[in-house]
Amino acid sequence: MSVIDIKNVVKIYNDSEVKVHAVNGISLTIDEGEFTAIVGPSGSGKTTLLNMLGGLDHPTAGEIYVGGTNIGTLKGSKLIDFRLHNIGFVFQSYNLIPVLTAKENVEFIMQMQKVPSKIREARTRELLTQVGLGDRLDSRPAKLSGGQQQRVAVARALASKPKYILADEPTANLDSKSTENLLDIMEKLNREEKITFIFSTHDARVMKKARRVITVEDGKVIRDERKTN
Amino acid sequence: MIWSIAWKNIWRSKVRSLVVIIAVTIGIFGAVMLIGIMQGWINQRVSDALNNEVSHIQIHHPEFLLNEEMKFTIPGYQTLIDSIENTTGIVAFSPRVKIFALAQTDWASSGLVLKGIDPESEKQVSKIHENLIEGGYFDDESVLPSMVIGSKAAENLKLLNYEVTTDKLQKPEISELGEETLKKLQSLEGTRYRSEKDFRIALISVLSPHNYKESGDMLVRYFSFYRLRAKVTVTAQKITGELVYLTFRVKGIYKTNNTAFDGLTAFVRSDVLKSETGLGADDYHEIAILTESKNLGVTLAKDLGEKFSQYEIMSWKELSPDLALYSDYMKVFDLMYVGIFLLALSFGIINTMLMAVLERVKELGMLMAIGMNKVKVFVMIMLESVFLTLTGAVVGMIVSGLVLSYFSRVGINLGMWAEGLEAIGYSAIIYPYISFDVYIGVILLVILTGILSSLWPARKALKLNPAEALRTE
Repeated sequence: MSVIDIKNVVKIYNDSEVKVHAVNGISLTIDEGEFTAIVGPSGSGKTTLLNMLGGLDHPTAGEIYVGGTNIGTLKGSKLIDFRLHNIGFVFQSYNLIPVLTAKENVEFIMQMQKVPSKIREARTRELLTQVGLGDRLDSRPAKLSGGQQQRVAVARALASKPKYILADEPTANLDSKSTENLLDIMEKLNREEKITFIFSTHDARVMKKARRVITVEDGKVIRDERKTN
Repeated sequence: MIWSIAWKNIWRSKVRSLVVIIAVTIGIFGAVMLIGIMQGWINQRVSDALNNEVSHIQIHHPEFLLNEEMKFTIPGYQTLIDSIENTTGIVAFSPRVKIFALAQTDWASSGLVLKGIDPESEKQVSKIHENLIEGGYFDDESVLPSMVIGSKAAENLKLLNYEVTTDKLQKPEISELGEETLKKLQSLEGTRYRSEKDFRIALISVLSPHNYKESGDMLVRYFSFYRLRAKVTVTAQKITGELVYLTFRVKGIYKTNNTAFDGLTAFVRSDVLKSETGLGADDYHEIAILTESKNLGVTLAKDLGEKFSQYEIMSWKELSPDLALYSDYMKVFDLMYVGIFLLALSFGIINTMLMAVLERVKELGMLMAIGMNKVKVFVMIMLESVFLTLTGAVVGMIVSGLVLSYFSRVGINLGMWAEGLEAIGYSAIIYPYISFDVYIGVILLVILTGILSSLWPARKALKLNPAEALRTE
């Protein structure tokens, strides 16, 4: 069952009167439970594509359907609300709220969804335990390592029960041990709970773990490989 | 959680936030103290004037105030009094005879306004009896009728004398001056000085410049005394126009915060004044009325004026327009001070909040990306601004409240400017006062400033594009 349907999406930036085709007619389908990496050199259009999948940018042409909704037509608070309930984000530089503890960072997104406090607390504890931080609930980001912070970010992305999680170069700032640890956790969540992950990455270790690798170049998909393992 | 994040956010940059909080605290303290001092000062002046000089309402013959001629007494006095006694809101009244006279002692003469009063009725309306600094208040009549005179008038009539006496030299109050100085002062014994100037010249002649500079003022006060029971002869005009000479004995000296009033006004019994000047038993020039409140005084004066159009009935606001001006415009001045302070404060907050927003572009982009809507982003930034100002405001209000409460009990002594201040009717000791509504008003205005000052920084945040914001370093 498809989670995302991308139909002939084009994104053109008008930079100093020169039109830049960042994404140039991409069509794709992402199914539920995929563990997909979008790869490509810098400037290939992978981040632009990821931004459009996350509803942070609108396509110039084409449509992106998420669970039947064309997110290109959503504007303002409807789009923000859509992101809140359907998409999880993991960023390259973790982007946790520094004044909140790990627990509060995860809880925050559920609070915005108006989840009752008891359910919120139980889910926060469960998620942080799942990412191996059950003993660091009350630590602030500054007291956590990069790998631990990124695991909190994963737990935060999962907290809203999204349809899919977009991870933009999630391992770029991590050492190899932390990268391996994070990927194992995400893969486990993917396999056991059927959570859909879409990465944009340069990291060979991520590509190795991904079961589908989409290669983008000059705004076009030049390769779409599915692994059988 | 927005509240909690906003509160925690202001402590990210502790120094910057503390600078703003301290600035707000100092600003609030300054504004509250300034308003408190001004309000206290004005209230005291108004209160003094109402209690000692004008009361709440005065009734005169319509032509009396033009030239204050003796013949313009209040017609139909008894009927008028019956009506006043039955008017709700009137606490007390005091009928007065008021004549201009030349007062003389053996050593000087001076013009005086003689107010003929019934001491008991006057006690209900004015507080002259509470302002006595020497002597008594018509309680022990001797052969000669009594006079209660202002301290400055007594000084003008050279009833304030200075004399170094053995008795005073031996008292412990001045023992700290040292034996040598006391010995020098002993040489002035036996001479009575009738003016401060003469006594100071004498002190300068015996004391070293250093001793005089250190102790001169204290010695002038210490060796001064009023000549109670001295005779004061008053030359006035009878109702028939002939001159009449009346002799009084000084019974008491009063001192208000208004030197001009003290220098011109003396009180005597109205029956003495009336019988000597040929006025009838019901002839009075002025009825001073005290009402339940000064505002009621204004209303009642208007009502009585409409009811008794044959008299000139004036409220304190008409009798003393300067008091009315201070009283009515005090809140306008308060708003001006607070307005200037809040304007300066708003620039500080805008600057701080802009810095806070620009430093957190990436984080704000993240918050919007994960689903924080614009209303919540706006509220968060506004709350940060409000918390910042409110923290300073609360500290400022507590500090200023404590300081104000202390000084409202002990007063702020501006003794070194006493002469100048009392010359224009102001007390040299200020008891700061701030009304509760002004106090609360200042807090509310500070919160409002916090909200308004957050609008621009919040707008900056709302205009961020999450995708672009996330790319910033």
